[in-house]
Amino acid sequence: MLELFVEGLSAVLNVKSILLILSGVALGLIFGSIPGLTATMGMAIVLPMTFGMSPMEGMALLMGLYIGGISGGMVPAILLKLPGTPSSIATTFDGYPMAQKGQAGQAFGYAIVFSFLGGLLSIVILMLLAPPLAQVALQFGPYEYFAVTVFALTMISSLAGDSLVKGMLSGLLGMTMALVGSAPIDAFPRFTFGYDALDAGFNLLPVLIGLFAVSEMIRVSEQKIGQGQSVRHTMKGFGFTLRDFFKQGRNWFRSSLFGTGIGILPGIGAGTANIIAYVTAKNKSKHPQEFGKGTPDGVVASESANNAAVGGALVPLISLGIPGDTVTALLLGGLMIHGLTPGPLLFENNGDIVYGIFIALIIANFAMIAFLYWGMRWFTRVLSIPQYILLPVILVLCVVGAIGVNNRIFDAGALLFFGLLGYIMIKFRFPIAPVILGFILGPLLETNLRRGLMYSQGDFTPFFTEPIAATFLALALISVVVKVSNIFRNKNKSGPKGINTGV
Amino acid sequence: MKALLKRGMTTLTLLLMIAVFAGCASEGTTQGANEENNSQSNGQVGDYPEKPIQVIVPAGAGGDTDANARLLGKYLEEELGQSVVISNVTGAGGTVGAREVLDADADGYTVLFFHNSLLLNRILGLVDFSYDSFKLAGIPVLDHGNTFVVSGDSPFEDLQDLIDYAREHPGEVSIATEVGGFTHLQLLALEQDQDIELNIVDVGGASDKVAALLGGHIDIIPTSLGLVKDYIESGEMRTLGIMSRERVDIMSDVPTFTEQGVNSSFEKFFFYGFHPDTPDEIVETFSQAVERVVQTEEYVAEAEEFLVTPTFMSPEKAFEYIQETEDYYIELSEE
Repeated sequence: MLELFVEGLSAVLNVKSILLILSGVALGLIFGSIPGLTATMGMAIVLPMTFGMSPMEGMALLMGLYIGGISGGMVPAILLKLPGTPSSIATTFDGYPMAQKGQAGQAFGYAIVFSFLGGLLSIVILMLLAPPLAQVALQFGPYEYFAVTVFALTMISSLAGDSLVKGMLSGLLGMTMALVGSAPIDAFPRFTFGYDALDAGFNLLPVLIGLFAVSEMIRVSEQKIGQGQSVRHTMKGFGFTLRDFFKQGRNWFRSSLFGTGIGILPGIGAGTANIIAYVTAKNKSKHPQEFGKGTPDGVVASESANNAAVGGALVPLISLGIPGDTVTALLLGGLMIHGLTPGPLLFENNGDIVYGIFIALIIANFAMIAFLYWGMRWFTRVLSIPQYILLPVILVLCVVGAIGVNNRIFDAGALLFFGLLGYIMIKFRFPIAPVILGFILGPLLETNLRRGLMYSQGDFTPFFTEPIAATFLALALISVVVKVSNIFRNKNKSGPKGINTGV
Repeated sequence: MKALLKRGMTTLTLLLMIAVFAGCASEGTTQGANEENNSQSNGQVGDYPEKPIQVIVPAGAGGDTDANARLLGKYLEEELGQSVVISNVTGAGGTVGAREVLDADADGYTVLFFHNSLLLNRILGLVDFSYDSFKLAGIPVLDHGNTFVVSGDSPFEDLQDLIDYAREHPGEVSIATEVGGFTHLQLLALEQDQDIELNIVDVGGASDKVAALLGGHIDIIPTSLGLVKDYIESGEMRTLGIMSRERVDIMSDVPTFTEQGVNSSFEKFFFYGFHPDTPDEIVETFSQAVERVVQTEEYVAEAEEFLVTPTFMSPEKAFEYIQETEDYYIELSEE
């Protein structure tokens, strides 16, 4: 292994490859940080440029882009409460309140450092444990996925804000929206009302940006337009002390492991990893009432987890050739064009490239922390732009991004629809995060339930007798029981409410 | 305050410009070739192509449709002197992407790249359009390697083992598919031909099938040999044969289904299709470029790595070929 490591090093450590990694990271940060442009889009645009390069150079560029794309999402999440990608949803919960309190710099400091450390830990895990971890991931069939999804859905209870009922209704609304379009498995069109454009259902990106960003713009436009905050960047270093840093140790470690673990499971990925890590950090915290009001703990949990999901998602890709999400699917295409088929023989036949990829990832992480550290003094100034200039510009970017997903005008309309829906929800004090969770997890739930029933020919028992599935269903049950008993216990006290993610 | 504002705006503008630049960069690279091409074919076909051509692939990135489209696109760029942009428009078994080409302008800058599943979409009643709703620009490549794969430790050594077992134990052997897709038809054909009953389970797309087999969740997966050749080489998987009519040179040691007494043969074809109102000259130009690509040695060598067979069929020939295929599919699905 050491030999391969050295071979990988020598493949990457040349001026051209390093420059490619740096430009990949820079480009990725731009795509990640502009609302509506995603790492996937960046990858799709850059992929054809790599055809003319050597495999290693191409991979260097793409790995830089991947790391940059996932990390860039923190910028609009903290500054504008706008998750640039699904992987930074939970960053908005505490990052934005911190920015509102004038601590945007500190929020960035935490987000950058722990993105870096989360990413690094997952790369180490990837390097040391990829093949055995991939074998574990293979044990997950439909029964197991169904159970994991049920467990993840119980997270809604912790994101529900001040009313559990409203939280659950929001979650159900998300699942309902996901029903529109062709059914999983048999592609039968549902709720399309004969309107062809609805055949494919709603895409996640317009739903996400509509609910979080467009709704917020409508809300802000109600008020007398502010002049923008005057932001002075006087922060030293990353804005926190060594003591603060070590206080986050456990949180970081747990969130990174969650991120890596969830990233490994194809199909679930970074979009849910950050939310699950956030909720867990809140439940484990000694002061859960501070979550949602601008505690660094929340930012650390979300950002550690989403960067750790990168290393996780590469585990099944590199050792089995199975992509976990849209970005890794494009990476698979990129590898195949260069004649490298990810799978059992990749380590054997192209060990130097595999280790080159690992090293490119490490370098990309260092580039990411350097770029963002240099950039954060500029990002924070976005807040000083008057909102009547800033918001229209962002709205345009959101529309462009929505169209860019599938090159369809329909998605721009969907964006505005979900913007209005989000605005109405805010008005009636419904939390928004559960909608997204329901929207992402609903189809997974249905697909795996139906697949499982096809395997068992209509028999429900394997869902409860397969050990992994049974474990997760039991965890789901426990988490519901605990939540309900807490509610009863706190009924008379005006105890801590859930985080207010509805605003 | 004002100075700050100005700076912020500048940064934002800069960011925007970089993003736009990134979008255009791929166009820039082929501009030189473009000028050359223009001077050669002066004026006749309205100088098509004058801007990048978008190839709609109604399947996800990383699958075999996508891989073939990208490989052809790489060489088409050289022939046409314009960049060829692959857009993955997924959803509803490929109908969303196909419909998008029908909704696009008939100017020759949006073209569909798809395969057999398009025929099934109409046969199954999901949509009212099919291959004949497009102006075909030919078939560049065929995949003869449609195969059934079992895990390396499976008791089934060949197709006959599977059939014998399935006959005695109806509904016990599980086999993967995407309901209503190309592989589904293959399974139905086998069941009919041999009068056996399998447990057909939807496990998702190409890579999901591989994961389901490796994880031991399913007994057999139908797939393309090119996608699993590494696993076969490493001994983790075994092929039960391919569904082409005769053995294929690039995989001459793999027996066909017909040799093993199963009367069903399938081959996957990939085709280019334009909006029906696209001018003939444009389709002609594109089709000729495709033909030249298929004759390129480098392309053939790269394509054979995926175990597919570059075979050019002109628009007319492609139409006849697809029509025959459709008749066969209709026959199968009516039985």
